[in-house]
Amino acid sequence: MPIDFSLTDEQKELQKLARRFAKEQIAPIAAEYDAKEEVPWPVVEKLHEVGLLNAIIPEAYGGLGLGMLEEVIIGEELAWGCMGIYTIPMASDLGITPVLLAGSHEQKQRFFKKLTEKPALAAFALSEPGNGSDAAALRTRAVRDGDYYVLNGTKTWISNGGEAEWVVVFATVNPELRHKGVVALVVEKGTPGFKAHKLHGKMGQRASGTYELVFEDCRVPVENRLGQEGEGFRIAMNTLDKTRIPVAAGSLGVARRALEEATRYAKERQAFGRPIADFQAIQFKLAEMLMGLETARAYTYYAAWLTDTGQPQAHAAAIAKAYASEIAFEAANQAIQIHGGYGYMREYPVEKLLRDVKLNQIYEGTNEIQRLIIARHILNQ
Amino acid sequence: MKFLAVIRQVPDGESRLKIEGGRVDLSGATLILDQMDEWAVEEVIRLQEKHGGESVVVALGPERAEEALRTALAMGIDRAVHLVAEGYLDPITQAEALAEVIRAEAPTLVFTGGQQADWDSQALGPALAEALGWPVVSWTTQIELESETQAKALHDLDEGAERVRVALPAVFTSQQGLNEPRYPTLPGIMKAKRKELKKLPLSAASKAEVLEQTIQERTRLNKLIDGKDPVSAAHELVRLLHEEAKVI
Repeated sequence: MPIDFSLTDEQKELQKLARRFAKEQIAPIAAEYDAKEEVPWPVVEKLHEVGLLNAIIPEAYGGLGLGMLEEVIIGEELAWGCMGIYTIPMASDLGITPVLLAGSHEQKQRFFKKLTEKPALAAFALSEPGNGSDAAALRTRAVRDGDYYVLNGTKTWISNGGEAEWVVVFATVNPELRHKGVVALVVEKGTPGFKAHKLHGKMGQRASGTYELVFEDCRVPVENRLGQEGEGFRIAMNTLDKTRIPVAAGSLGVARRALEEATRYAKERQAFGRPIADFQAIQFKLAEMLMGLETARAYTYYAAWLTDTGQPQAHAAAIAKAYASEIAFEAANQAIQIHGGYGYMREYPVEKLLRDVKLNQIYEGTNEIQRLIIARHILNQ
Repeated sequence: MKFLAVIRQVPDGESRLKIEGGRVDLSGATLILDQMDEWAVEEVIRLQEKHGGESVVVALGPERAEEALRTALAMGIDRAVHLVAEGYLDPITQAEALAEVIRAEAPTLVFTGGQQADWDSQALGPALAEALGWPVVSWTTQIELESETQAKALHDLDEGAERVRVALPAVFTSQQGLNEPRYPTLPGIMKAKRKELKKLPLSAASKAEVLEQTIQERTRLNKLIDGKDPVSAAHELVRLLHEEAKVI
């Protein structure tokens, strides 16, 4: 098949919708919710209204069944408006993905219905206070008791954790079994023994809610288990292989915003009697930003294409995630530099880009973990 | 009942326009459904939601105008008709061609934008009414259907507003305040692909020909008033604003 970089008419239309939504509904309120460190629920409601929320749920379960490329197209646009706000639908897709990958027909019907009939979110709980990158070292215990698992333990850094209708929680039936003892359980909001505490004082992405989840003798029905006992770790890893691509998409949005803001400012700001855009020192920075953005976007689309065509993609998702977040961080950094002192002030939007995109280098697997995945891909060939 | 919107595709207000060989070059511009036409589309959808029947959107324009028609379909219009014509056609010729399609559709009413963001002629609505022999209500901010043959509308005048009762079918043109248009939803976009979009090639001769286009540029006068004597400076400023700028 020949290479074809064109988008379908439908993809162009949904890009247009997401772009307009970001411009009219997200960008104008981003600074306010960043300052308040609050989730903009009215935006979540509007995302639901126009169909941009939980859109990866298959049509058979009341969703739109969007592919990865569509998710990437939408992700770039929403993150252009605010990376923190984009994390809300993105983290919901992160919660949906393990159910998509490992849930039974009955589970999909039951859990997805809650996310399509009204504005609602899902969440994914893997990290714990004592483990992040070493995911198999989790300590949250799941002890079987008849038709239930009794959950005890603490999860942390859980996006949407307090808002979510349900959370996919990874726990161990026996810590000595390491990754072979992991079980994935869907815990519904309001289950006795399940509490969510909002974490305050984040550097960026302050409009997305990040939570610590505490489970104290929390009884979860066995029918909420995804796959078999012991399959949880693989479900988590397969999920992240997919959802790293939307993280890359978010980075593209931040990088594009940084380039646009920097370009506008460079054309307006005068120094030595002319716009600073006339100086090569500024031009080189803008050129570097576009080089990063274009290559990251092309690669992220490629990773999405591998995913949509069912080909091995774990390494590509890792490359896209790490690379896009790094070029975006650098773009935000240079956008501040071009703005000079004004760039350091909250009155201008560029300092927030840097604070927000820092997280893209950390969550859903740090960029160091991405490099391990990439290296393993090289060495195992 | 059948409600029909006539729309145009125009450059986004933020697009940078260039002149190439005496013509506006739209190759780098983002083209969108005209905002005032979007109000017309929204109103047609609302009328259909309230009174039932069918909604149709019609456009006259080049191939690319199909995108604007798809946007209207994604917002909720049932089907589209596209009169395909490249190049410039004056509003009277456009209205005559559109009137043929509209007559065949026999709608309860027609809604279109009060003016459009590119040629800005404000002529298409009235010209359509003329070609159809129907009444026209321009700059409409409210419309209420009293029966299949009668509507009540509020429309802007230079000095205020006027409430009118009008026999249908009629042509209405939109004004700011008519409604807040909805977003085309994602399910709407996906459904729009499967909706009917009929293409009719059009070959009509324009009654007017565009010879050359230029972009309006105003250079600043850069007048500075010496402020050493504040009273005379204020008098001078008032004089300039009154006599030269003609703003007070």
